[in-house]
Amino acid sequence: MRGIRLLLWVGIALFGALAFATVALHRGEQINALWLVIAALCTYAVGYRFYSKFVAAKVLGLDSRRATPSERLEDGRDFVPTNKWVVFGHHFAAIAGPGPLVGPVLAAQFGYLPGTLWILIGAVFGGCVQDFVILLFSVRRDGKSLTEMAKQEIGRVGGLVAYASVIAILIILLAVCALVVVNALKQSPWGTFTIAMTIPIAFLMGVYLRQLRPGRVMETSALGFVLVLLAIWGGQWVSLHPAVGAYFTLGAPGLAIAIILYGFAASALPVWLLLAPRDYLSTFVKLGTIALLAVGIVLMHPTLRMPAYTRFIDGTGPVFAGKLFPFAFITIACGAISGFHSLISSGTTPKLVRREPETRMIGYGAMLCESMVAIMATVAACVLEPGTYFAINSPAGIAGALPEKAAAAISSWGFPVTAEGMHRLAESVGEMTLFNRTGGAPAFAVGMAHIFSSSLGGQAVMALWYHFALMFEALFILTVLDAGTRVGRFMLQDALGHVWRPLGRTGWYPSALATSALIVLAWGYFLWQGVRDPLGGINSLWPLFGISNQLLAAVALCVATTITIKARRARYALVTLVPLAWLVVVTFTASWHKIFDPDPRIGFLAQARQIAAAGGNARLTFNNQLDAVVTAILVVMVTLLLVESARQWMAALSGRKLSSTTETPFVATRLVEEQG
Amino acid sequence: MKGLRILHAILREIFEESAYERFCVREGLGRGRGSYALFLRQRRVGLKCC
Repeated sequence: MRGIRLLLWVGIALFGALAFATVALHRGEQINALWLVIAALCTYAVGYRFYSKFVAAKVLGLDSRRATPSERLEDGRDFVPTNKWVVFGHHFAAIAGPGPLVGPVLAAQFGYLPGTLWILIGAVFGGCVQDFVILLFSVRRDGKSLTEMAKQEIGRVGGLVAYASVIAILIILLAVCALVVVNALKQSPWGTFTIAMTIPIAFLMGVYLRQLRPGRVMETSALGFVLVLLAIWGGQWVSLHPAVGAYFTLGAPGLAIAIILYGFAASALPVWLLLAPRDYLSTFVKLGTIALLAVGIVLMHPTLRMPAYTRFIDGTGPVFAGKLFPFAFITIACGAISGFHSLISSGTTPKLVRREPETRMIGYGAMLCESMVAIMATVAACVLEPGTYFAINSPAGIAGALPEKAAAAISSWGFPVTAEGMHRLAESVGEMTLFNRTGGAPAFAVGMAHIFSSSLGGQAVMALWYHFALMFEALFILTVLDAGTRVGRFMLQDALGHVWRPLGRTGWYPSALATSALIVLAWGYFLWQGVRDPLGGINSLWPLFGISNQLLAAVALCVATTITIKARRARYALVTLVPLAWLVVVTFTASWHKIFDPDPRIGFLAQARQIAAAGGNARLTFNNQLDAVVTAILVVMVTLLLVESARQWMAALSGRKLSSTTETPFVATRLVEEQG
Repeated sequence: MKGLRILHAILREIFEESAYERFCVREGLGRGRGSYALFLRQRRVGLKCC
């Protein structure tokens, strides 16, 4: 039996190696997308079977006899011992957001190879490890949050940096998410109508759930989904109607204002009326569509049109400026490693885990699934003809505002495309134009529609699939916006409550309205800045988001390394120290470039100087200076945390300071071993 | 069959139907508008990842 298992794993490893060789070594000829999928699945299988097992046994010492907080503190509300598959599904639904869909699409400007390698290697050695260890450490500390663990393990500086990082990343994340939606919906009456309709649909669902069928969430979500499908269908009629269509044909500034107002309403209105039903609807669509995309890719096994790597690895890319290193590694965060996940791993999930060994499947395993979503997004972007991909993702400020001019510029880069071809494509998906639709979402939607329409319905339903994909992404993103704004409001109220107690009361309307407005104004400012940016906004905001997200991952890995060293397992600290070192190098290098690079397309200060020298808008100059300051503050905060952590490590290693554990004392479990 | 049961349990947890059921048991309330309104009032907004 042992021999057969050994042979099986050798076979998986060899098959994976063959797929990797095909993906990495083919030049000048197109390869099938299935090779990417096979390389990914084999890497995940080997990574899970061997590396996560090593981490579980040696680094963490998982103990099935130890009672988890869900058992010891069971209250039927927050702490509930739950089946591992249920917790896995719950955790995956919380970590899977728009990030793994958008980041890989943007990074596809370097070709399919760099992004794929980073997604696979980053996930197995970085992202999965981070999610897994933070989950376990939280389980062993009664489900404490990352900021609480940082404060306990690294001191007040650690806690303060973690708290400030969370607020910063939240604001930048919400701004960049909103910008992706704005870029996806501008001048798109069909898409705007569909997304606008999700608001009354959510209201209806809220009332239905509360008044007619209390608690029947799945039934209500299914009904909401049917209504959304009808809205997609009706959107076609709206887009063709000259009078009605005009109401839904908005430019970027109009859409930005609408989204800012929406964010405020979602934060201030009762949860049951808008936020909760939208959340359910989004989850329903999300899980279904991800599964559908996986099936579509396997069934259709499309050919990748994008080369393995493009000339833009030199930093001159039109989608965003900057060289392959370090920018590919901050552009793709969620599919490889994302600091945001550590907040989920130390949030609800640790309070549901029944047994310690299950954290391996939940923490490590769910992140592998998230990584697979990123691989699927890479496939969706790379099945497009490169000329089409660059026409969609290049801002007008780089390629040109007129279709003919943009097509000529993109063709001159070595990626042939014609204005006529793009016009036909736009017509086939029901859009006025697909030029200058930056942000990643439209390119992903076209790629997804291309995959689906090849098998399900043909070209005749390409427009429906495109708008379904667009709706899926926008719904996803707006749910992040809803929840993020509200959570940001609670965090702000919590902090302000220390200044004046009534401000901390979440139910007190003046405080709720004021703090909602403050959070919305903060991300709304960055959104507005992105909308007015001549380079399209994504060029400056997405790297800022990537840097802040990866710096939060550095905070999480600092906490994990500190706990590992204090637990006298220093010889295994490299497991978290290596990804930490990599992230520090990547993010600090990227930050340096974003602040000081003399190329105005990369460096914030250089762009500010260029705008000022040309006598341009003073606000644009200020915005670039502000971005530089925000980046610098993030770097300084993480440097402080690194210094403080290093002091803790040295003290523990030299024996100058007794290692004090903050783990909850061992209590034997009384739960019976669960089968399956 | 077991797989379907687990899938159903996962969906019930994700869509908070199980949480509502636990709430009713904990508070000794029956299913209905009143108890659901109370449950929603206590519902916490979880972070959604990017």
